[in-house]
Amino acid sequence: MTLRPKILLTSLAMALGCAASAYAAGFTLPAPAKIAFLYFAEKNDGGWTQAFDEARPKIEKSLGQQMPYVEKVPEVAGQIRPAAERFIQRGYNVIIGTAFGYSDTFKELSEKYPKVAFLNASGTTNGPNLESFYGRTYESQYLCGMVAGAVSKTGKLGFVAAHPIGPVNWTINAYELGAQKMNPNATVTVIFTGAWNDPVKERAAAQALADQGIDVIGQHVDTPTPQIVAQERGIYGTGHHRDLREFAPKATLCSSAWTWDAFLAPELKKIAAGNWQPSPYGAFPGIKDGGTDIACCNAVVAKDVVAKVMAERKAIVGGKQVYAGPLKDTAGTVRVAEGAVLDDAGLWKMDWFVPGVITQK
Amino acid sequence: MTDFLINWIAGIPVTAAPYALAALGLIISERSGILNLSAEGLMLVGAMTGVASCIVLGGHPLIALVIAMVASSVVSLLFAMLTVVLRINQVIAGLAIVFFCQGLTGLIGNLAGWQNHPIAGLDKWTIGPLSEIPGIGKILFIQDPVVYLAIPIFYLVNRVLRFSMVGLNLRAVGENPAAADAAGVSVALYRIAAIVAGSALVGLAGAYISVVGVKLWFTGMVGGRGWIAVALVIFARWAPWPALGGALLFGCIEAVIPRIAAAGIRVPQYLMLMLPYLATIAVMVWAGATQRGGAGEPGALGQPHVREERR
Repeated sequence: MTLRPKILLTSLAMALGCAASAYAAGFTLPAPAKIAFLYFAEKNDGGWTQAFDEARPKIEKSLGQQMPYVEKVPEVAGQIRPAAERFIQRGYNVIIGTAFGYSDTFKELSEKYPKVAFLNASGTTNGPNLESFYGRTYESQYLCGMVAGAVSKTGKLGFVAAHPIGPVNWTINAYELGAQKMNPNATVTVIFTGAWNDPVKERAAAQALADQGIDVIGQHVDTPTPQIVAQERGIYGTGHHRDLREFAPKATLCSSAWTWDAFLAPELKKIAAGNWQPSPYGAFPGIKDGGTDIACCNAVVAKDVVAKVMAERKAIVGGKQVYAGPLKDTAGTVRVAEGAVLDDAGLWKMDWFVPGVITQK
Repeated sequence: MTDFLINWIAGIPVTAAPYALAALGLIISERSGILNLSAEGLMLVGAMTGVASCIVLGGHPLIALVIAMVASSVVSLLFAMLTVVLRINQVIAGLAIVFFCQGLTGLIGNLAGWQNHPIAGLDKWTIGPLSEIPGIGKILFIQDPVVYLAIPIFYLVNRVLRFSMVGLNLRAVGENPAAADAAGVSVALYRIAAIVAGSALVGLAGAYISVVGVKLWFTGMVGGRGWIAVALVIFARWAPWPALGGALLFGCIEAVIPRIAAAGIRVPQYLMLMLPYLATIAVMVWAGATQRGGAGEPGALGQPHVREERR
């Protein structure tokens, strides 16, 4: 077997380093890492995919190599497979996917190509050479909720969301919990559009919220439409995916923005170094490890509010839990007991809302 | 409660206008005997061109709407060529145009970087002191120019179709092309003209969504509204005014969905999101149950005309 000296050295170092688990069965690439991305949408979609494309140059710099990408790979096995295999045939051995719907195909591919490493954002499948990853978006949305709660005069916040699934519900609940920290009477009225990007429905939703006297609109959809409506109506909003001040500089107070380079650069270095141990249940980084972070803040947010939010951010990085008990749902059932913290399984299947969230079910 | 009702009713024209304009465009082309399923695609063309001309050319948004109408008509020439000149199956040609336009607009729009690029768009007109009448003012006198223009457009199209020589010839071509041909009416010319004119309105409907409604362009943003327009035409029995009524019905439903949620009324949300499609099915069932012998349907709808061919 012809191992390159560098790999050999690093694996030696690893073997020496973890003497306790001397024979750890990590994953080691047979050749230097060559990394490629499969994008779910266009690279300039303004949200989810653009966040990856903006992280890519930073990751390239950090790893010292160019990383090619394919855009608009839909969540269909027949389209994912050829896109990934073309890269693999050209010698790429680390494939990064960016969609929930890639999960099963990536699992298949990881079994078919055991010498290639696979990473997939918002995926659900994992394996010896496959790791799914997603951010603890509730941490940054909690901070955005704090800003919204502090800025709102009416105490009535709105939220335009896509689908009532765990990863969306946890941002809504965190938003309300954050708002309550600044204004105990704050409520969040949620409208689900039933689509990740349907700007027509998002506009209608944001306008309906504004008509109801809501003065800050949060969001977990892919387009900046709710922010644009907020700006038109002279109210405020908080963004998701990226810093949406780009679209609504007056209205957008802050955004919950992905910081993928902070997670992917070190993770890819680990893969390149060899003996990589993918997390068996997927990577789930928070603010500390490069999931999302708050892009703060518009000038209208008072200095002392920013200071409070930043202090809270520091506490979260230091280990403070957003979903620490006691927490009840709208019906009064205890969901997280006093002294307990909601575990990851509980997060992913979250189908309840904290009091103060007004929503259809 | 009155606020809720006023806000809701005032929001209906904006959601109804795209359905109304697209359905009217389809009626013009289908009255000439061309079964036109291309609406979804041509609306996408209109939506993208409208925003593109706002970004690239600037100028008044009404000019952008006109450019979108022209662009949509130009693309529809392809459909006319397929169906009238080459006499390809009209259902397949229509579907092909939809897929073609989906790809085309996605490709051009993203290469040019028009996606998610906010524009000023067309604002609402506030009609002087009338707009200050409580309730009615907000509903009737604060709307955008296209909504006001839609009424004369409907009147005009209805008038031309029913009472003018051009309209008579157009309907004759759709009912019995062989007879019209024998009477010296050019079937091909009328059909191409009907497709192009109708598609201009379909393009306007698409541009309305992007330039007036959302003020932003996004790949595939029409989101199936073209198909609802196709269903509306059948519901309206190929007549303009009933199509406007149907469009208002869909506008009502679409406008109320987010408002119910915003008002905090607890209704199962998936049921709400299903409503426009449930309404489509209900409307089709009603249309099917009440229309005996295909009343209102142009006699030669979907049939290519070949001179002196026996049927």
